[in-house]
Amino acid sequence: MRFLGGLRRGGKRRVVVVGLDGVPYSFVNRMIGESVFSHLGRLFGDGSWKRMNSVLPTVSSVAWSSFMTGKNPGKHNIYGFQDRRPRTYDTYIPLSTDMKSDTLWEVIGRTGRRVGVMNVPVTYPPREVNGFLVGCFLSPDLNKATYPRQLARKLSELGYRIDVDPWKGREKDKTPFLDDLNEVLSRRAATMFYLMEHEEWDFFMTHFMGTDRINHFLWEQMELGEGPYAAAFLDYYRKIDEMIAGLVSRLDGRTTLAVLSDHGFCTLKKEVYINHWLVDGGWLVFDNQNEQSIKEIDERSRAFSLDPGRIYVNLRGREPKGSVAPGDEYERVRAELAEGLAELTDPDSGEQMIEKVVKREEIYFGDSFDAAPDLIAVPRRGYDLKGALNRPELTHKGELVGMHTFEDAFLFIRGEEITRDEFSIVDVMPTVLSLLRVPIPSDVDGRSLVD
Amino acid sequence: MAKGFTVWFTGLPCSGKTTVSQIVEKEIRATGRNVEVLDGDVVRTNLSKGLGFSKEDRDTNIKRIAFVCKLLTRNGAATIAAAISPYRAIRDHARMEIGNFVEVYVRCPVEVCEQRDVKGMYKKARAGEIQGFTGIDDPYEEPLAPEVVVDTDKEAPGESAQKVMAKLRELGYLGEGETAEGGEGVYTKEEEEKVKERLTNLGYL
Repeated sequence: MRFLGGLRRGGKRRVVVVGLDGVPYSFVNRMIGESVFSHLGRLFGDGSWKRMNSVLPTVSSVAWSSFMTGKNPGKHNIYGFQDRRPRTYDTYIPLSTDMKSDTLWEVIGRTGRRVGVMNVPVTYPPREVNGFLVGCFLSPDLNKATYPRQLARKLSELGYRIDVDPWKGREKDKTPFLDDLNEVLSRRAATMFYLMEHEEWDFFMTHFMGTDRINHFLWEQMELGEGPYAAAFLDYYRKIDEMIAGLVSRLDGRTTLAVLSDHGFCTLKKEVYINHWLVDGGWLVFDNQNEQSIKEIDERSRAFSLDPGRIYVNLRGREPKGSVAPGDEYERVRAELAEGLAELTDPDSGEQMIEKVVKREEIYFGDSFDAAPDLIAVPRRGYDLKGALNRPELTHKGELVGMHTFEDAFLFIRGEEITRDEFSIVDVMPTVLSLLRVPIPSDVDGRSLVD
Repeated sequence: MAKGFTVWFTGLPCSGKTTVSQIVEKEIRATGRNVEVLDGDVVRTNLSKGLGFSKEDRDTNIKRIAFVCKLLTRNGAATIAAAISPYRAIRDHARMEIGNFVEVYVRCPVEVCEQRDVKGMYKKARAGEIQGFTGIDDPYEEPLAPEVVVDTDKEAPGESAQKVMAKLRELGYLGEGETAEGGEGVYTKEEEEKVKERLTNLGYL
C-alpha cells in the first residue's frame, strides 16, 4: 500500500488535517483498548499522539480560532459563540469577519500552495483562499457557505450537509437524531473524498462536528455504559474510525496526516447560572422582573456574565450604563467576584463548583485585549457555567448531558514525533506550517511541535 | 467604485462629535472602505487657517469643508466631517453641494458639554475672554431633519456609533454585511435568528 512508503524525499510535501470536535484524549485511549477505534489504534502506532490543552473559555469557536490562527483570543478576537459589541450591551455572533488574524490556510495559500478547507468553526462567511473553503455550521445556507461560490452547487449534488438538525437531539426518541448524525457523516466523508480526488491541494482539512453533537446529548449514557443509546453512541464512533481508515487509504507517501480535537468532554452534572448568582448577590440588577436581555441591565449593576463563565465588570466609561469606577474599584470588584465564585457550592452536594477564576490579563494579550471578559471562571468537572438570564435556580440539569473540558484534547501526527508533552491548541498551526516547510509568521503565539 | 457619501457630525463644542466620529471611522474602515476625515479642529489648522469665528468666517470654513467632502464623495470615498457647524442654512448648503449626505446631530445639553470642557473654552467664554462662543453667546441652530440623532449624555460613544453605522447600512451606503474582505453578506435578520436558535439549542447561548 502506498501510504506505508513514508515521506518521499524531494516530492512536494502535503498535509491533511482531520478535526474531530470535542473528542477527548482519554476517550480515544479507552476506545482503542476496547476496539471501537481499531483502525485508529493501528494508525496512532505509526507516529505520535498526545494529550493537548484547549483554550479558555473552552468552547469550539474559540478553540478552533486559536487553532487556525496559532494565537490567543487577545489577538484573534473570538471569545465565544456570542460576544458583546464593544461599548454597548448589544450581542452578536462572532464570525470570520470578526477574526482579526490570518489563518493557517491563508498563510499557506500565500506561498502559492493550494488549500482545501471544510467546515472548521468560525469560517463563515468564507474568506477568499488560494483553493476552496466550505464554511462552518454558522453558515445560514450552503449557497452562501463556499468559496468559490460555484462550489456550493457541486456540494448540493453530492448531498453535502453543513450540520445536523439540533432539534432532534432534544427529542426523547434519539433515533432520528442518530440517523441524522450518520447521514451527515457519510455525506461529509464522501464529499471530502470527492474533493481530495478532483481538486488540487497541498493542504486539506475537514472538520467533523457530529462528535461534539452526539457527546452533548448522549455522553452520559456512554459513560454509564447503560441507556437505550449507549451502543448506538459507540457505533457512531466506529463510523468515525472507518472514515479515517478510508482517508488513510487514499493518502500517498508525501502526505502527512494530523488528527486533533479541540477540547475534552465529561458528563454534565449541572448547569450553573452565573447571572442568577450575580442577581442574588446584588451584583446584577435589571430594570424589570422578567429580564430577557442584558440590554435591560440597570445602571446599579456591577457585573454580568456570558457563556461559559465569562464575567464582565459593568465599567464606567466602557459600558453604556457602567457603574464601577476604573482603577481601585474595578480591582476590588474583580477580587470580590473571584472570591465569591470560588466559594460557590453545589446546593445539593455541597461540592465546590468552580476550579479557579482567572483575570483576563493572565491569559490574554494583543490588539483585541479590550474585548476580553474581565474574569474567566473555570468550572470543576461536571459544572457547566451558563450565561442564561432569568433562571429561577442557581443550578439545573437539562437535556444536555455532556460538557467541555479544557485539558483533555489530543493531537496525532503520523510519522512524526511530537517533541513536547505540555502544549496547547495554539501550537498546532505553527506545527502544520513546519510540516509544509512554510515560514511561521512572527506574531503567532504557538510554537512548532516537530523538529 | 463604491458609492461615496459624507457623514456630517454637527453639535455644540464638547458634545462628542470627534469621539463618535472616530469610532465610526474605525468601523467603516473595517468594512474595507477608504475613509477620509475632516475634523473641524484639524481643518482650522490647515485648510481654514487664519479664519476666525465671525459668522462670515464660520460660513467660509464650512463651505471649504463641504467643498472637499464633495470632491471625496464623488470619488467614492467614505467621508466624515465633524464640525460645530451651528447654522442651519450653511449645513443645508453642504447637503445640496455634497449630495450623498448623512447628517448626524450630536445632541447633548450645554450644561453637560460645559462640564466636559475639554479645552477650557467654555470657561474662557463664561469669563468673557472669548466672544461668539457657540452655546454661550452664539446660537446653535438644531437640525430639523437629521438622518441620525445621537444623545451623547445618555449613550456610550460605541452605542452612538452603532446608530450611525445602522443608518449607513439602511441607506445602502454600506452593504448589509459588508466585510473586511469586501466579500459576501454576513447575516440577514432572519438568518441571524436561525443561527441563534441553533446555538441556543446546542446550549451555546
